[in-house]
Amino acid sequence: MPFEFILFIAMVGVFAACAFAIKLPVSLSMLAASLTGLLLSGNGLGIRHLVEGTFGYVDTILVIATAMVFMRAVQESGALDALNVVIIKRFRTMPAVLLPLLMLVAMFPGMITGSSSASVLTAGAVVAPVLMILGLPSESAGAFIAMAGILGMIAPPVNIPAMIIGGGIDMPFVGFELPLLLLTMPLAIAFSLIFGLKHIKKVSWEELAPRLNLETYKRFGLRLFAPIMVVAILMVLGKTVPQYFGLGLPLVFIIGAALACVVGKRFDPINAAKAAINDALPVLGILAGVGMFIQVMTLTGVRGFIVVSALSVPPALLYAAIAVTIPLFGAVSSFGASSVLGVPFLLALLNKDQIMTAAALSLIASLGDFMPPTALSAIFAAQIVGIEKYSRVLKRLIIPSLFIIAWSIVFIIFSKQISALY
Amino acid sequence: MKIAYLTIAAAVLALTAWNLWTEKDWRKQATAAMVAIPLLLRVLLIK
Repeated sequence: MPFEFILFIAMVGVFAACAFAIKLPVSLSMLAASLTGLLLSGNGLGIRHLVEGTFGYVDTILVIATAMVFMRAVQESGALDALNVVIIKRFRTMPAVLLPLLMLVAMFPGMITGSSSASVLTAGAVVAPVLMILGLPSESAGAFIAMAGILGMIAPPVNIPAMIIGGGIDMPFVGFELPLLLLTMPLAIAFSLIFGLKHIKKVSWEELAPRLNLETYKRFGLRLFAPIMVVAILMVLGKTVPQYFGLGLPLVFIIGAALACVVGKRFDPINAAKAAINDALPVLGILAGVGMFIQVMTLTGVRGFIVVSALSVPPALLYAAIAVTIPLFGAVSSFGASSVLGVPFLLALLNKDQIMTAAALSLIASLGDFMPPTALSAIFAAQIVGIEKYSRVLKRLIIPSLFIIAWSIVFIIFSKQISALY
Repeated sequence: MKIAYLTIAAAVLALTAWNLWTEKDWRKQATAAMVAIPLLLRVLLIK
């Protein structure tokens, strides 16, 4: 048995033991697994390697941290409530348009922060009560916002699993926007209609209005949306004319957050920023831990061993392994699954379009947020819609999840043909 | 741009350190420290 294989099993074993048995956070479990790899390979504690590893994701950490600050500022300013009001007022008589738009609203925080929990807990908490008023049973409303969480997490501009997978093969997070839109938007439209269309009823504005927060929109009007618009415009300009507007995402988010402080409800920006970073720390810690894990795997030769092993797997078995192991490993963390399994699978699929393949793998990895016992997205969604047993929400997500896996694998198989279309 | 980048990094570092200081759970403190170390080295231009 190759020594690298023993090392890999030891690292993954320690990681799983820490995460499941000792119930350590994923970040610390990654750190423990990395230390195990260093000690068993004879590299001692190798602190410099651990620190070096964290630098692989230091810019991603800045993007996520500032995105969370921006999202918190937008939420505190009242813009999310106002956005809900505008969409419902305008489209309440057109369910086929209203449902995908509500899905987009629920996805928005995830798209900005790359975190499904952020989506479910912020916009999801605003959208879910409205869905239930419109006639959706609580299970369907929960499934709707849980799905919005993971699709938002994968949709551009920020997709942490794709960043992790790309980082593992030194591929920058560039050129992912269109593949990620192609992967997520058709699913967002389809699932919003599947979850909602058969239940939704037409409700009069008089019936709806008392249950919505109309005050903020009445008081501040459209200017509430200025931060979101400015951030969107700066992102587009940053892509189209980078020589003039290549500010970088952290600065764009800080500009948006600063604007949110003055256009809507007043709030304490310092405490809001502190709370935002507090919410972001588990994800930021995972990124630091993933960096360490990959660094140690590279140092000890485990990464090369996994790649060579993955390359020798027959294609049919490879797709089956992708479909089964990545979502299952996601029970620990979808980011962990991206790091430990996403990177080797991407390397095993070097003959495919790498951007499209990494994007599709990230979509499969996101399903980890539905995987018990952690099932973050489903648990938070169940709490928001007032369901005690999250398995009732989870049941509604099983078939959509299988469809997501099949959809992603089709994108991987035909990655070159799809990428040739744009 | 470099100044803006370092200012943002310093701000995130300060907020992380503040959270570390006020946090009671050692696991969350350790996670905050894992995030703070690379940011500190970056802000000090060591790495």
